[in-house]
Amino acid sequence: MSRFKILSALMLACMFVAGPVFSQSDRNKTLVVAVSSDPANLEPGTNKAEPIGSEIIFNVFDTLVSWKAPAFQELEGRLAQSWGVSPDGKSFSFNLRPGVKFHDGTAMDAESVKFSIERTRDINPYMKSNFGLIESISLQGALDVKITLKEPMPVFLSLLAQPQAAIVSPTAAKKFGDKFSVNPVGTGPFMFKSYTPDTSVVLEANTSYFRGKPKLDRILYRVIPDASTRRLEMEKGGIDISQQNAQLSSIPADELKAFKDNKDIEVIEVPSQIIRQLEFNNNITENSPIKDVRVRKAITYAIDYDGLLKGVLGGTADRVYGPLTTNSWAFNPKMKAEAPNYDPTLARKMLQEAGVKPGDLKFTLYSFQGSLWGAMATLIKSNLADVGIEVTIAQTEFPSYRALQTAGKFELALDGRQPWYNDPDAHITIGYLSSLANSAMTFRMPKDPALDALILKAQTTVDFKKRKELYYEVQEAIANKVPGAYLFSPKLIVFKRANVKGLVVNSAPPLNEYWNVSKQ
Amino acid sequence: MVRFLVDRLLSLVPVLALVLVVIFSLARVIPGDPAVTLLGPGATQEQISALRLQLHLDQPVTQQFLSYVTGLAHGDMGRSVKSGRPVFEEIMRRLPATLELSVMAMLMAIVVGIPIGVFSAIRANSWFDHLVRVISLVGVSTPAFLLALILQLFFGIYLGWLPISGQTSPFIFTERVTGFALIDGLIAKDPPALWDAFLHLLLPTTVLAAFLAATIARFVRNSMLEVMGQDFIRTARAKGLSRYAVIFRHGLRNSLLAAITVIGMKFAEMLGGAILTETVFAWPGVGRFMFEAIKNRDYPVIQGATLVFAAMFVLTSLLVDLLYGRLDPRIRKKMQ
Repeated sequence: MSRFKILSALMLACMFVAGPVFSQSDRNKTLVVAVSSDPANLEPGTNKAEPIGSEIIFNVFDTLVSWKAPAFQELEGRLAQSWGVSPDGKSFSFNLRPGVKFHDGTAMDAESVKFSIERTRDINPYMKSNFGLIESISLQGALDVKITLKEPMPVFLSLLAQPQAAIVSPTAAKKFGDKFSVNPVGTGPFMFKSYTPDTSVVLEANTSYFRGKPKLDRILYRVIPDASTRRLEMEKGGIDISQQNAQLSSIPADELKAFKDNKDIEVIEVPSQIIRQLEFNNNITENSPIKDVRVRKAITYAIDYDGLLKGVLGGTADRVYGPLTTNSWAFNPKMKAEAPNYDPTLARKMLQEAGVKPGDLKFTLYSFQGSLWGAMATLIKSNLADVGIEVTIAQTEFPSYRALQTAGKFELALDGRQPWYNDPDAHITIGYLSSLANSAMTFRMPKDPALDALILKAQTTVDFKKRKELYYEVQEAIANKVPGAYLFSPKLIVFKRANVKGLVVNSAPPLNEYWNVSKQ
Repeated sequence: MVRFLVDRLLSLVPVLALVLVVIFSLARVIPGDPAVTLLGPGATQEQISALRLQLHLDQPVTQQFLSYVTGLAHGDMGRSVKSGRPVFEEIMRRLPATLELSVMAMLMAIVVGIPIGVFSAIRANSWFDHLVRVISLVGVSTPAFLLALILQLFFGIYLGWLPISGQTSPFIFTERVTGFALIDGLIAKDPPALWDAFLHLLLPTTVLAAFLAATIARFVRNSMLEVMGQDFIRTARAKGLSRYAVIFRHGLRNSLLAAITVIGMKFAEMLGGAILTETVFAWPGVGRFMFEAIKNRDYPVIQGATLVFAAMFVLTSLLVDLLYGRLDPRIRKKMQ
C-alpha cells in the first residue's frame, strides 16, 4: 500500500478514536447558555442596558447592593456589608466588605467604588442621568464611601443594584482602556476568559469568590440567533439554558407546548414587572373621540382580558390592573378591585351615552412588530369590532414606531415598559409625569401640575411607609384618568435542562445569576 | 492584457464611490438611528441625545460624510456603533467564515450540478432529465430556511449524525489563525478539530449548494444542448472522435464558458447574501453581521460592509472575465 493510503487510513482512524476535548465530567461542570445575539460591551461603563452583556456583567461583577432572592422585595448588601441613609435622604454611606479582591488580585475598596461610579457616569450616556443625581462621592475611610445626591432620591439605592452600577477594577480599566469592554475584570463569581465574536463568551469560576466558590467551573454563552435552532439545540442537549430574550416580541406558548412532553427540559416561569398596555394618546392636540373619558372607559370594558391571558398567551402572563404590577411593593390593591372587566354590553352602553353610534369610530392601532404584538392587536381589533369600533392594525418597525409615538401621531397604540431597576419609580415617573410626556415612549399625560407634584413627591419621600402611601394615591389619580387599558405582565420564561439546579432569575432587570447553579 | 487589468482595477474607484454615496444616504433615510435602536424602547430623549453626541450623529450629514471619506483615505472605516471596535477588523474577523462556507458550497454545487447537467443534456427528455428538472425546480423554489430546518431535524435530531449550529463545537478550542475552521484545524494538527469543523460545515453547505446546484444543472443542460446541436460537434463526430472526446473536450468545454459567468456571479452573491443560512446555523459570517447591523442602524458597519461586498463583487467579476479569457481564445484576443 502506498504511504499516502496508510497515512490517510491512520488519520481517519484517529478521527474516530479521538473524541472531543471535553470529558463528560467537564461537561457537567460547564453550563451552556444560549443567547440570541452577540453581547455588546461586557462592562458597566460601556453597556447601555443591552440585556445579554448585562447578564454577563451580573455574573462577572458585583454591585454595592442587590435584591434578595426569591421575592426581590428587599435589598441586601453585596459589596457593601451595611449602609445608612441620612435623615434628609441625600447622603448614602456604605461600609464595604473587607478582603474582597478583583479578579486581577487588586483590592476592592472605597477608592475603587468611587472610581467605578464616576467612570460610568462620565462615559455611559445611558447612566448619565441616573448618576447625574450625584453631587459628590467622598472617601470616609479605606472601606467607607459616602455618596451625596443633589436632591433626596430614595430610588438611588435601587439604581445601585443595576448591572450598570457594578464596581470595576480601576487597575484593569486603566490598563485595558477602551478594550476593557472585552476584557472585563470585576469581583464576581465568574471571571472572563474569552470572547469570540458572534460565537461565544467563556467565563471561568472565581474560586476565591467572597460569597463562596461557584459550583460550576465554567459558563459558556453560545450565540444562536434563530429561535428554532435554539429549541433544537435544547432538545439535543447542546445547550442547558435558553432565556426567552425574544419573548418580548414572540409568544412563548408554542415553545412551552413543545417542551412540555420532554422530561429532560424544565420551564421556569417567574413573574416580571413588565407591563403591556393599550394606551391612548392622552395629550393629543387634534379633535379626537379619545379625548372623551367615556369613550376611553368604554374601550377598557370592551377588551377580553381572560381571552388574552388564557387564549393568546396560554397562561404565560399575569393580569395587570393599573400602573404597577401586583408584585410591586407599592401595588395598591384598590386597582384590582376597581379594574375594568370584560363587559361588551356595558361598553356599548357607555359609547351610546357618549353619543357614539356603532360604526362611527375608526382607529389605527399601532404596535411593535412580532407575533406577540400581532396577536394582541388582532384580539383587540375583534373585541372593539364587537362594540362597533373599527380598527386597522399597523405593526411598525421599532425606530419608526418610536418616532411616531413620541411625536404623538397616533390615537391608539400597544406599548409597554420593561423596568430596568426594581422601584415603582421605574414605571411611574417616566410613564406619567406630564413634563416628560414627549421625552420617551410614555402615556403622554396631559399637563397636570397636581399629579406631577404628587409623582415627584412620591419619588423623593424618604420615609418608606409615607412613600408607599403616596404611590397608592398616585395610582388612584392615574387610574381615574383612564390613560389606557392595562393588559398583562408577561412572565419571564427560562427553559433549562432538568439537571440544572439553583438558577436565580431576577425580575428587574430580568437577568440570570449563575453563582449557585450546579448540574447533576 | 496589462492595460485591460489596470482599466478594470481603476474602474473600482468610481464604482465604490457611487456605492458609498448611495449606501450613506440610504442608511440615513431609513427611520431611526443607531442611538434609538441601541438604547431600546425604554430610553429617554436625554439618554438618546447623550449617545448621539458620543457617536457624532449630531453633526450635519455632509460633515459626517466628509469625516467618513477622510477616514477611508487613511484606511479607517470607523468603529461599530454597537461594539465600539474598528469596522474593518470586525468584517475581516467574520469574512473567513463566509468564504469557507461559500467556497465549499460552490465546490459541492459544481461537483453535483455539472455532471447532472451534462447527463441530462446527453439523455435529453429521458425520465432522468424530467426527474432532474422537477428536483431542480424544487431546489430553486424551496426557501433556504425551510430546507435548513428539514436538514437540521433529519440529520441533527432524528438521526443525530450532524451538529446543527455553529462553525465548530463550543467545547473544542482551536487557536484561531486564519478563521477558516478547516485550515486552522490542519495548522493545529488536530484531527478531532478538523473532523468537527468538517461536520459543522456539511449542513449549511448543503443548504447553500442546493440552490446553486439546481441552477448550475439547468444552465449546463441547456447550454450543452445548444452547443451539441452546432455544426462543429457534427464535424467532430464525423471525424471519428470518441464519444468521450466529443462530449467533454468539445461539448462541455464550450458550454462551461457561459456556466462560469453564472457560477462566478452567484459566488459573489453568496458572499454577502447567505444571511438566512448563517442565521439559522448560527454561522459567524458577514451576511448575518450585515443583517444585524442594518437592524441596529450601525451606520459604520453598514457602509463598510457594503463597500467590501462591492469591491469583492467587482474583483470576482474581473476574475471571471480573466478565466473566461483563459478558456476562450476569442475573448483573450479582445483583451489584448
